[in-house]
Amino acid sequence: MNQSRYVYWMFLMNSLLNILNFVPRELLDARFRGAQTSILVAAVLGTAFLSVFTILIAKFPGKSIQDILETALPKGLIIPLIIMFASLWCVAGLITILSFVDITMRFVSPDTGPGIVIISFLVLVCFCARMDSLSVLYGMEMLLAIILPLILYAIIKALVNPDFSWDSVLQIMTYSAHAPDLKSIAAATFSFSGYFNLAIFNRVLPKMKMKHSWVYAVNGLAVLLLTFYVPIGYFGTIGVEKHVYTWFSTADSIRIDTFLIERMLFIFYFAYLTLSLVSVTVHWHVGKELLTGLFPRKQAKNRSTGWQELAILGMFSGITLILMRLDQYQLNEFGVVFLYARWFGELLMIMLLCYCYAVAYRRRNP
Amino acid sequence: MMAEQQKAEEISLQWIKGQLDNFADLEDRQLTAPAGSVKLLYVKSITDPQIINRSIIAPFYEMNDPAAYKEYLAHYPGSEAVKDSKQVLDLMLGGYACVEVEQRFIFFDALKAETSSVSQTMTESITQGPSDALTENLAVNLNLIRRRYQSAELKMESMLIGNISRTKAAILYDDSRVNHQVLDELRERLSTLRVDILQAAGELEKYINSDKVRIFPKTIVTERPDRVVFNLAEGKIAVMLDTTGFAIVLPVIFNDFFVAMDDKIQLPFVGRFLKLLRILGVAMTLWLPALYVAFTSYNPEIVRVQIALLIAGSRATVPYPSFVEVLIMLVMMEFLTEASLRLPRAIGPTATTVGGLILGQAATAAGLVGNIMIILVSVVAISNFMIPLNMMSFSIRVLKYLFVIAAAAVGLVGVVVCLVGFTMYLCSQRSFGQPYFKMFALDRLGSSGTQKGGRS
Repeated sequence: MNQSRYVYWMFLMNSLLNILNFVPRELLDARFRGAQTSILVAAVLGTAFLSVFTILIAKFPGKSIQDILETALPKGLIIPLIIMFASLWCVAGLITILSFVDITMRFVSPDTGPGIVIISFLVLVCFCARMDSLSVLYGMEMLLAIILPLILYAIIKALVNPDFSWDSVLQIMTYSAHAPDLKSIAAATFSFSGYFNLAIFNRVLPKMKMKHSWVYAVNGLAVLLLTFYVPIGYFGTIGVEKHVYTWFSTADSIRIDTFLIERMLFIFYFAYLTLSLVSVTVHWHVGKELLTGLFPRKQAKNRSTGWQELAILGMFSGITLILMRLDQYQLNEFGVVFLYARWFGELLMIMLLCYCYAVAYRRRNP
Repeated sequence: MMAEQQKAEEISLQWIKGQLDNFADLEDRQLTAPAGSVKLLYVKSITDPQIINRSIIAPFYEMNDPAAYKEYLAHYPGSEAVKDSKQVLDLMLGGYACVEVEQRFIFFDALKAETSSVSQTMTESITQGPSDALTENLAVNLNLIRRRYQSAELKMESMLIGNISRTKAAILYDDSRVNHQVLDELRERLSTLRVDILQAAGELEKYINSDKVRIFPKTIVTERPDRVVFNLAEGKIAVMLDTTGFAIVLPVIFNDFFVAMDDKIQLPFVGRFLKLLRILGVAMTLWLPALYVAFTSYNPEIVRVQIALLIAGSRATVPYPSFVEVLIMLVMMEFLTEASLRLPRAIGPTATTVGGLILGQAATAAGLVGNIMIILVSVVAISNFMIPLNMMSFSIRVLKYLFVIAAAAVGLVGVVVCLVGFTMYLCSQRSFGQPYFKMFALDRLGSSGTQKGGRS
């Protein structure tokens, strides 16, 4: 319970965050072409990935992915691999930031400039990502505890709304007998890929164990189904494709009758802004740790490692600022490419881990 | 002189007198009885004449036997025979009387400590429960603690801190419950401490914390012996200083600052409710001004339209943006708080009346600030003082400006960014290597309820 729970929080964070990203749009685009079977397949595949990865990395207690790779692979191969993985994490964070800046501009403060919004996000994330790994985990857990009730409230409120059209949901269910398609699976497995952060956090969770994998499967499946069905219930089977940030439009359709705040959108926005800031912090923390691991190790945390961290995070921020010029369609395409890349990255990482474990196993029992 | 210090044999009355030259209050007496004579040397101002009379002078004449007298002095509790010249001076200045009998030096404890007696708590008052406060005398404080904590596991180590002030410090801990890592770290930090004067517990707190820039207190500074005892039972360490009526408790977690000592006296639900109130108070005092700025200047659409109109109506006459209004009123309130703290008791109420009633009324009537702003400022001020421990309440008082500035810069986004930053920062803090803020409740779930001390 004690340390394994952080794995669950990482999973939960990603799984809730998928609502924000391009996942619902990819799924809803394929709603007549096998999105629902893809969700099922993704739930199975995602849980399998998660369990295999977590069990394998738990065999190397207290080691980050870099330490593990160093046991079996030549140095020349590790550096490009690590840079590739780090760039995955960097992109994961920056896509979240970019979409959230866009959402803020559209829904909350159209009159503040995007520049100052993104800079405030970047300053915060760079400040937080430099903390040590345990602090990042504590903070993640704390903030999840604050926002989970809000998200649950939003979801329950959405489901019990009398204007929710269950007919549309039932109708879309009649399209479920289709073969799954790869794009939707790649999108839907994003919901499960929170475990991937263990690549670094394994270092501070030596007592972590993989238990109750069915919880992950059920939880992930439930979140994916909600992601998919709730917007359909609000906008209808056809109308749903007209929205860019489907879930924010959905939240904006819900009214709270008896509270100071009348529109659900703002509660939802508050929860998701917090969640995405935390998630970017976690992602960039992992990316930063991977890259600083490439430099020769020093005993204590001294000034030069501080500069390295700042340089790396500054680089991440710089890339984000450059990519801010992408418009909505380009950002979407970029996001889809990322969803694929991430999936293959996970696959590659698991294979590498398998290989390392095999090497370690053979070394121990020759 | 160096040579003298190195050679133990060379301690003589002459040498001590030489060191204590120009001490107008130095008493040097020779007592002569038929059987022999002794020499007596002490600093009058810090020794108790009663003790000198009754325990040193009277027995000498009554016994009339230097050999027996020597035995008597040497075995009297609190007397010491010292060889090291450095220690001699420490003892002399610490209220010991030096007696030279049969070529031997015996140092006799005759300290007179002028302290106030045990009084009521001033800074942490509670409604029910004990109201003794720690005093400025270490021995009395130890008495207050030992009486409440009658366990053989309660260990105490003492040391002297400060080159000039030579302040006595005592480290107290429960040996079976304490985290020895923390204890070692504390010992190391105290032993490497180099200061001249140490007079207050808060000062020591500042010296033993490693990080220079910090906004949250990492140790509790308390004047309540029952809080010290409660924390000792939880495995924490208390450092007590002579000459100050406060103890330092460490390591602490963020939650500890919201525990008032009467929470446990209340019924369980009431106690929880009170704690919840305090946390709500912190949230209010941090967020209300910032949210006001965000809601009036950036996102009036968030709140219900009636509320938005109400706020806009009350601000109709205000000639500047909302964050200026908030800053003016908050700073006003700080002036009031600070002034009423420093004023003599008799004038205090006048200041609050003038400030609170007249200024508040006049400011709204003149249209300088909205009515709602006045309500908000009073809520902020009141909820700020709900935190039981002063140090934390001051930290929060400063932090709310950060939120206001963030809200003034980017509106609601700024408030949320600040909230995330605030939480993450709290989580990154460590108090003597122990986590300061995290979901401690979840940690305890796994280990099947080992109830230690008295969790509230």
